[in-house]
Amino acid sequence: MLVFVVLAPGVVFGVLALLWLVGWVPAERLVSGITGVTFSAAILALFVVLRKVIATGAVTVTFGNWFAVHDYHFPMVLMADRLSFPFLGMTVALVGLIGQFSATYLHREPGFFRFFLLLHLFAFGSLIAFAAGSFDLLVGGWEIVGITSVLLIAFFQYRTPPVENALRVFAVYRATDIGLLVGVFAMHHWAGTASFAGGFPRLSADRASTVCLLLLLAAAGKAAQVPFSGWLPRAMEGPTPSSAIFYGAISIHAGAYLLLRLQPMLAQSRLASAMVIAVGLVTAIYGTMSGRASADAKTSLAFASLTQVGVVFVEIGMGLKWIAVAHILGHATVRTLQFLRAPSMLHDYHQMHSAVGGELPATENRLEDWLPERIQLWLYRWALDRGHLDTFLDRLVIYPLMRISKFFARLDGMGLHPSLGRREAPASGCSAGQEGIG
Amino acid sequence: MTRGAILTAITIGVPWAAALLTAGTRRQPRAIGFAAALASVTASSLLLRAVPAGESLKEALMLLYSCLTLGAMLALPRRDCTTGTISGILFLLGSTLLAYSTDDLRILLAAWVVSTVPFFFPQWFGARTWRPRLALLLSSGALALAVTLIAWHGHTMSIGGLARRSPGGIAVFGLLVAAVIFRKGICPAHAWVGDAAEGGALIPTALLLNGHFGAMLVARLIVPLFPYNARDLFPLLSYLALATALYVAVRALTENSPRRLLAYLALSQSACILAGLESRTVEGVTGALVHWYVVTASTMGLFAVLRLLEVRFGENLTASHHLGLAGHAPRLAVFFIVFGLALVGLPGTLSFCSQDLLIHGTLASHPQTGLLLPIATAMNAVTVFRLFVRLFLGRRRTGFTIMADALPRERWILTAGVLFVVLGGLFPNTIVTRWSAEAEAVEQAFYAPSRDSGESASRFLPSFVAGDLGRVRHSTIDTVLQLPGPDGDR
Repeated sequence: MLVFVVLAPGVVFGVLALLWLVGWVPAERLVSGITGVTFSAAILALFVVLRKVIATGAVTVTFGNWFAVHDYHFPMVLMADRLSFPFLGMTVALVGLIGQFSATYLHREPGFFRFFLLLHLFAFGSLIAFAAGSFDLLVGGWEIVGITSVLLIAFFQYRTPPVENALRVFAVYRATDIGLLVGVFAMHHWAGTASFAGGFPRLSADRASTVCLLLLLAAAGKAAQVPFSGWLPRAMEGPTPSSAIFYGAISIHAGAYLLLRLQPMLAQSRLASAMVIAVGLVTAIYGTMSGRASADAKTSLAFASLTQVGVVFVEIGMGLKWIAVAHILGHATVRTLQFLRAPSMLHDYHQMHSAVGGELPATENRLEDWLPERIQLWLYRWALDRGHLDTFLDRLVIYPLMRISKFFARLDGMGLHPSLGRREAPASGCSAGQEGIG
Repeated sequence: MTRGAILTAITIGVPWAAALLTAGTRRQPRAIGFAAALASVTASSLLLRAVPAGESLKEALMLLYSCLTLGAMLALPRRDCTTGTISGILFLLGSTLLAYSTDDLRILLAAWVVSTVPFFFPQWFGARTWRPRLALLLSSGALALAVTLIAWHGHTMSIGGLARRSPGGIAVFGLLVAAVIFRKGICPAHAWVGDAAEGGALIPTALLLNGHFGAMLVARLIVPLFPYNARDLFPLLSYLALATALYVAVRALTENSPRRLLAYLALSQSACILAGLESRTVEGVTGALVHWYVVTASTMGLFAVLRLLEVRFGENLTASHHLGLAGHAPRLAVFFIVFGLALVGLPGTLSFCSQDLLIHGTLASHPQTGLLLPIATAMNAVTVFRLFVRLFLGRRRTGFTIMADALPRERWILTAGVLFVVLGGLFPNTIVTRWSAEAEAVEQAFYAPSRDSGESASRFLPSFVAGDLGRVRHSTIDTVLQLPGPDGDR
């Protein structure tokens, strides 16, 4: 049953995508119907899994090695234990719910079919990541979640800002995922395995610190923790249902899940635990301040999510594993509801304003009123520019990289006449266009 | 004649005969090309079936290249389907397969030279700039000199007979490495690859690059013939390959010409093949060989999609601003992003396995420089996505009247390519197991005792370089992180 839960969305995605590639275009009703049936069946199957988890503590399905070379092998183990089951349940229930919501919300939208395809792929990736019995498999699911997330940010493909923001988010994901790849490699190298289905890899404190810090980089990237938080408001360009499921519920908590999975190793390393707490604390403060200066509903909700995920990181760093799990489940559910409600809430507010004949009175007694006005203004400017985090990353990483790249281009062009080796420039003019990933 | 010899003759002879037929009759070039490539595919698969795992490197490569050419025949747009192009592609197929299959150094040299001939003539496949011609000329010259030196020393010309004998010593080894550097486009001889893609015929150039003659020379000649030199001096080539992967990945970040950009991507990823081959771990070598398949299939798919876009929307495509082509050609957009992400390690595709093995292999053997590999791959992923975003997304262009998405012929062949990378990724064990047997053979060649040369080749190097190489050879990730050895906490 666990295999069915994990594979069902993947199979639906594969079949629908292949049929579309060779020329078939399904009707909206059929797509939403298939989605409903798939996730309803998955929820029922999860009840069967739950019974087994309660009875035995964990359900493990082993398929042997996905591939093996010499001493290195990639174990294909799916596992539902007390940690992963809540995440599996949350994913199946919320994706099913989002599917039903989107059938109406995106009715007659040109990208309707694309949205549902990506929703299935996202569910598949998330379920793989949460049900993985090894960090190797978790990486696979993790990457799929990242790619679907980016493709859904660029959902409104005819507008420039969403697609450029998608590129930026993709760049952050790929950069931070290097930590995950190298961390998993280090686990293999030192412990001989990255599997946790049959017991956690045992490492010395120093090595555990190294692995935890590498994985913290990936977790911070995926959970938009400081200094990578700049991508989160950019990700709000996607359609509301995908914002709800990704940045209110599942994708934003994937980093926290990774750290929860890493808890036995994290407990060995004071340095890594302290770093997790520090990152979470700074992000919580950053999120709450930037959220207060945000002018639109979705971005405010995104920063509110960020604040809560920061607090979850603090809980994980302090070793409060089950409090963190409960916090994630509660937060994901409430935040999904808030995201889905956001567009109609704005409509309700407008109606309310019309009814009372103007704006509603602002609430009084804000904490920042206690600060001197100069500091208030400085903080407002800081929060409005989202802590200058994007500028910081641009100046520290992206601009130098672009300068190096252009220098390489000049080097490569040496010895060539400018008219040689270049194709004709388009009439609209390349030079005036955008460059790089900024 | 044995059955193997007959099949090899069919594999090579049929494309050459078909090339002559096409050039002579000037009728139905695509049909003739398709039939000849299909004959090559069939004969190569029969050849591959006949040989045991561990000895099938050349047969597997022949099958791969035949399939690639078959795909190119179908993907080639009608505008490019001239007798000159088809006969040139068939000519390239025959000479590439000859280079893969031969056991004679003279024939290898001849095939190596002949495969470059169409790229010297601008009216055939040649680029407008001098750098591709110079690089191909230098690579051929270096190989010719190496073969001449081997003959001059009175050695046999059989590759099998020369195994582990270091024929001609360090001079021949150096010339072979130079041939690899020029042919493969390793830094500092990388610029010709971009020029060739930019100014030449796109799909034939992709076929030239995907012949991977440089990697073939390493796997089939340098490692088996010079295991002792390779052990000591190969890290230099590996560092150059990793530096190329990173250099080109950084270079591509601000490149706006789609052709050049794809060429850099292909080069960066194929440089990883060399790094993996040199890693001297079974994981790394297997990863390199599997990645060979991945790079070949994915870059061919990408080049094909780009060419199909060019014939529809003009050859002035640029990545400097959004062109919004997905609105006109959604299926081509999907093919492009799948091939692109399959090139850089998308989970569920074959490259996820190959990258996983490559990263493990190179990090295990070169912890310091091995880190460049995931960094280069991450940059390449960003570049692929940037190109996708700029070409396909953005405001829908309105200047076109009728623009077809992928035609059924193109759709089916591109779907077959996608299925190969996806099914290969979902069920990688067949390919990985086959290649791990080959990888063990390559790895064993590295550690085989030398027959003629008892001394380390590092004696030819300045002491500080030789010492550094020795240290690097024995280092592990522990040295980077200043931690005790692997048994420390077991």
